Amino acid sequence: MKGNGKVSASSFHIPRSPRALVLTGYGLNCDLETTHAFELAGAEAHRVHINQLIIGESIGEIVRLEDYEIVAFIGGFSWGDDHGAGVLLATKLLYNIGEEMLAFIEAGKLVIGICNGFQALVNLGLLPGFDGDYRSRRVALIWNDCGNFRDQWVHLRVNEDSRCVFTRGLERLELAVRHGEGKFYAEEPIIKRILEENQVVLRYADKEGNPAKGRFPENPNGSLEDIAGICDSTGRVFGLMPHPEAFNHWTNHPEWTRQKEHYRRKRKPYPTEGGGIQIFRNAVNYFKH
Amino acid sequence: MGVRLEITLKPELFDAEGEAIRRKARDYFNIYLEEVRTIHVLTIDADLTREQIESARHRIFTNPVSQISSFEPLATTFDWAIWVGLRPGVRDNAGSTAVEAMEDLLKVRFQPGEAVYTSRLYLLRGERLRKRGKGRRIAESIAKELLANDLIQQWRVYSAEEWDPEQGIGIVIPKVRLAHQPTVDTFSIDSDEELQRLSHQRNLALHPRDIPVIRSYFLRAEVRAARRDMGLSDPTDVELEYISQARSDHCNHNTFRGKFFYRDLNTGETEVVDNLFKTCIEAPTLDLQKKKDWVISVLWDNAGVARFDQDNYYVITGETHNSPSNMEAYGGALTGIVGVYRDPMGTGKGSRLIAGTYGYCVGFRDYSGPLRPHLHPRRLLDGVIEGVRDGGNKSGIPTPYGQVFFDHGYMGKCLVFVTAVGMMPAQVADTPCEEKTTTDADLILMCGGRVGKDGIHGVTASSEIYSEHTPAGHVQIGDPYTQKKMLDFLLEARDEGLIAFLTDNGGGGLSSSIGESALFSGGAMVELEKVPLKYEGLDVWEIWVSESQERMTVAVKLHHLERFMQLSRKHEVESTVIGRYTDSGKLHLTYKGETCAYVDLDLLESGFPQWEFEAEWLPPRYRGFSEPVLGSPEDHRQILLTMLSQPNICSKEWIVRQYDHEVQGSSVIKHLVGVHQDVPSDAVVQRPHLDSPRGLAITQALNPTYSRVDAYHMVASTIDETVRRLLAVGGTFEHLAGVDNFCWPNIQYHPQSNPDGKFKAAQLVRANWALRDYCIGFGIPLLSGKDSMYVDGNLEGSFGERHKVSGLETLQFTGTSVIDDVRRCVTMDVKMAGDFLYVLGLTRDELGGSEYYDLFNYTGLHVPQVRLEEVLPLYRALEEAIGAELVASVHGIYRGGLGVHLALVAMAGGFGLEVDLALVPTEGVTREDTLLYSESAGRFIVTVAPEDQSDFEARFRGLRCAKVGKVTENDKLTVNDLNGNILFGAGLQRCRSAWKKPFGNL
Repeated sequence: MKGNGKVSASSFHIPRSPRALVLTGYGLNCDLETTHAFELAGAEAHRVHINQLIIGESIGEIVRLEDYEIVAFIGGFSWGDDHGAGVLLATKLLYNIGEEMLAFIEAGKLVIGICNGFQALVNLGLLPGFDGDYRSRRVALIWNDCGNFRDQWVHLRVNEDSRCVFTRGLERLELAVRHGEGKFYAEEPIIKRILEENQVVLRYADKEGNPAKGRFPENPNGSLEDIAGICDSTGRVFGLMPHPEAFNHWTNHPEWTRQKEHYRRKRKPYPTEGGGIQIFRNAVNYFKH
Repeated sequence: MGVRLEITLKPELFDAEGEAIRRKARDYFNIYLEEVRTIHVLTIDADLTREQIESARHRIFTNPVSQISSFEPLATTFDWAIWVGLRPGVRDNAGSTAVEAMEDLLKVRFQPGEAVYTSRLYLLRGERLRKRGKGRRIAESIAKELLANDLIQQWRVYSAEEWDPEQGIGIVIPKVRLAHQPTVDTFSIDSDEELQRLSHQRNLALHPRDIPVIRSYFLRAEVRAARRDMGLSDPTDVELEYISQARSDHCNHNTFRGKFFYRDLNTGETEVVDNLFKTCIEAPTLDLQKKKDWVISVLWDNAGVARFDQDNYYVITGETHNSPSNMEAYGGALTGIVGVYRDPMGTGKGSRLIAGTYGYCVGFRDYSGPLRPHLHPRRLLDGVIEGVRDGGNKSGIPTPYGQVFFDHGYMGKCLVFVTAVGMMPAQVADTPCEEKTTTDADLILMCGGRVGKDGIHGVTASSEIYSEHTPAGHVQIGDPYTQKKMLDFLLEARDEGLIAFLTDNGGGGLSSSIGESALFSGGAMVELEKVPLKYEGLDVWEIWVSESQERMTVAVKLHHLERFMQLSRKHEVESTVIGRYTDSGKLHLTYKGETCAYVDLDLLESGFPQWEFEAEWLPPRYRGFSEPVLGSPEDHRQILLTMLSQPNICSKEWIVRQYDHEVQGSSVIKHLVGVHQDVPSDAVVQRPHLDSPRGLAITQALNPTYSRVDAYHMVASTIDETVRRLLAVGGTFEHLAGVDNFCWPNIQYHPQSNPDGKFKAAQLVRANWALRDYCIGFGIPLLSGKDSMYVDGNLEGSFGERHKVSGLETLQFTGTSVIDDVRRCVTMDVKMAGDFLYVLGLTRDELGGSEYYDLFNYTGLHVPQVRLEEVLPLYRALEEAIGAELVASVHGIYRGGLGVHLALVAMAGGFGLEVDLALVPTEGVTREDTLLYSESAGRFIVTVAPEDQSDFEARFRGLRCAKVGKVTENDKLTVNDLNGNILFGAGLQRCRSAWKKPFGNL
């Protein structure tokens, strides 16, 4: 099935704070910090269990996707990551609320998938979403080359030519990755197309911001072309392996105590906000301008 | 019956899972393989159409981008293939999620007995495998030593020649079949001897001293009369199993509550110590609770509760899971961490988990001696690391901290410490969250997993004879997915005020959770046939004591039941009403309408005799300990590099990185810090409430080698280290809390099997004395604690002889402190060139039990001692200096001594250091090696910006604090000797590579 994919990625004004739905349940687990990040960014964020969308009536808690402007597929281990990370989550959503999700995207709204959420987006086919085709699985996130789950901070280079709504104005980022299955893989023509159409949003980089060129640990999982995050052709559906919500406070950064010494000796005030929040703020601002 | 679906990566894709096995075969066994590919196998045993299965294959189980799948064997080119599947009854997590997904997709229900079983097929290629005669041996050894554990798994090997390309591995369905009608047996109590014999026969493990008490209860006239009314006479197996569980050392802590006849063989002085728990743990903690209003709830619930801020409390406890991990490392550790999470969850009306930590004590990874433990330490360590990894990561709970200690003594039995921290609001639904109770007519619900033969009678079951369909239930595999759903559900139910009481089902299962919760209301009535089972055929007593995991027992009022069940459906968690609480004074169990247990609840409260131990102490010098005659080394640089490469000093980054330590977005001070984010910090700090600047510092310490000399000083040093670790990151004296986890070899004297039992008992008494003295001294209430008393193993040697190997007497101490603004936290890495370097605290000639002596196989005599009057003023001054932001870095000096820890702070900071040993505060130290490697307690390394020098020094007037050098731009640690001449210089690159060498490639 194809959506029209015609809604532009430039404006969508609403007269109140945009509402963000943070999907929870079945082993997903980054709900509190993702909700917090959206709230810091100015959204009204709600944690919603998958079953509120699917069997809301029978549990007396009906929630409708269409009442929200942003949907976040968060990190975690949905269904324990059994049978492929994000696979069973994608199946659950596709065969229960697949149509509602397509309608949501076609209404010009925003979708972000982080880590397990990114894995679900690619398994759903919402990414790469070439030309509004939101049902074809064309890319995969497979086992890290190192063979292990890995938690580390990475440097990321933002593709400034990408249409991605979430990374507007950003050039570089530092975030944590925490996954076992994050190696971005697709067949060569698909990779080529994602690159050509500027759907690659984030790439693993070295300290200076140059592409990691596959080198471990700068590229922590062996992702082809150092790809850490991609968007669809509209820039409104965004998936990434690193965790922007876990950089919600300055003190999340692994070297903040070193930075603090510089601030302190120059008698400068300490920062508060973490570098990941801008991603969420960009989403909120999309509905304000 | 059954359909086999095989799934594998497309051939052109790199198989990371196979590569990890190839690497391990090479590193562990020197077996060079060219390639290992993996095939995932699903065996679907259900009444489904071909179309339905085909649909599941396409839509669920095959990723079109990366995988191929087939109902025919996929294996093509290999030299040997190894198939590994689970034994019947072993928890198959991926099998369960496969069922869940298929039911959702196909809109069908799997019938009882229908299931999906997962297994793996490994395809190996390698030159040695192709050699006639050799191939099978290698394949079998890889299967046994690397891929499968006989206790929970079955395996087969196939050579390329014997492989049937049509049938492949065939259809293997490891279904539990118990052709057994549930029964209730009664036990004759004609005599003590008779009951003792029956107890032994049935593996009841009743203590001989308890038997007369049990008999006299069941012989009482009024008891007999009341039982007669219920149709009972002699005690039933359900009743005796209940008593046996409740009286076990695990549940009742008979050792810590025992009576110790302590004798100092040197002075001849004797002392009777009645109840270590009461005198050394409970009394000091209750006393401190009176002085510290932040101690909210201690000593009764599943975990301790302390105030975090006005509206929130944190909840903490620590456990060990040694014996199960020793048998099945992955499953044991996974079950351990997932199980300990249920303790804070089951404290008060429930708490949200915010952190888990680990401690592993194992034999040396490169052990190549003659002893044959069930699992080689290397494999065991790999397994426990992975178990805790999956347990923590899949629960969405950060694992921010942990420690590993290697010692030969842990070959007999490994130690796996798991600690859990949670948060609860001070109030839920207008009642204090830390309080809970059951009342007459409350419903008893069991939530979460189902009941099987898991954990029944622990490892004694391993002696039973296996058949193809015997459940290997005594070794458990935790299921973090099921538990995560349950925890999410229970927190929502808590917040809606639906929970009156909850507790977890761990040791003793329902017998313990219901037995204990019924004490509040004064009785309970349970219909055991209502308990959902994994498979049919369990005896009634087995349902009652099974330790099947991921279950909580909840008391719910009738008028809350509907909403509770609605939330249960929302989270797809199974919840079942299995009975109700009463005020009858009785524990009343029925099975299909027949009473199978009817006992007074207070039966366990009184009359059982205290355990007794003889404890004989001889001070170390009279046990033949002395200082070694060891001359000064000449190559000081090489000594430092060698110290940095010791297994108990070197980098263990490979473990830390496998743990998600940043989920929940609350990480402030991570375990690994510094410019390369690779050096361990003194403690970690979490910010559990994201809208608050408050932090919780968490750390742990263990120093078991000091026990060789005196367990009193082992405990003192361990507590002191914990305090220093907390202070070093910005923790405060006002709030220091502790959790004690003792792991001890058997202390019951036996002339043949435990000839040094009396000494080990004396060590336990002394350890507890130190716990009491230093908790009072530092002002540390013990929020929680546990003990595990049998850290011994009998290992086979080269000639078939067996050796008893006992673990070192070990205390793991966990400490917490609350920090009001995390931005005041400090880390251990030096920050800027030009800063001044200080050493705080006195270095003495205290190398007993040290890493330095270990290097030369000495123990020594002068074990580090903690002098409270000396260290307290120093620590308070440091706390103030950190609070006033006068320090750039702070680091405690721990195992390895000043030399090792100077190297660590320099490596972490990426700057050099110049150090004058002559300036370091000392007492009785005449040699550089003593000064560099003594492990004296009470010391810190601090760096200070030049502009803060006078403010900083002013706070330490009259205290042992000296400026000993500075931070330099160059990349070198330069140390001057006691006369001011250069002793050695060591490049930081060289230090780092030495420090990373042992485990850097893992």
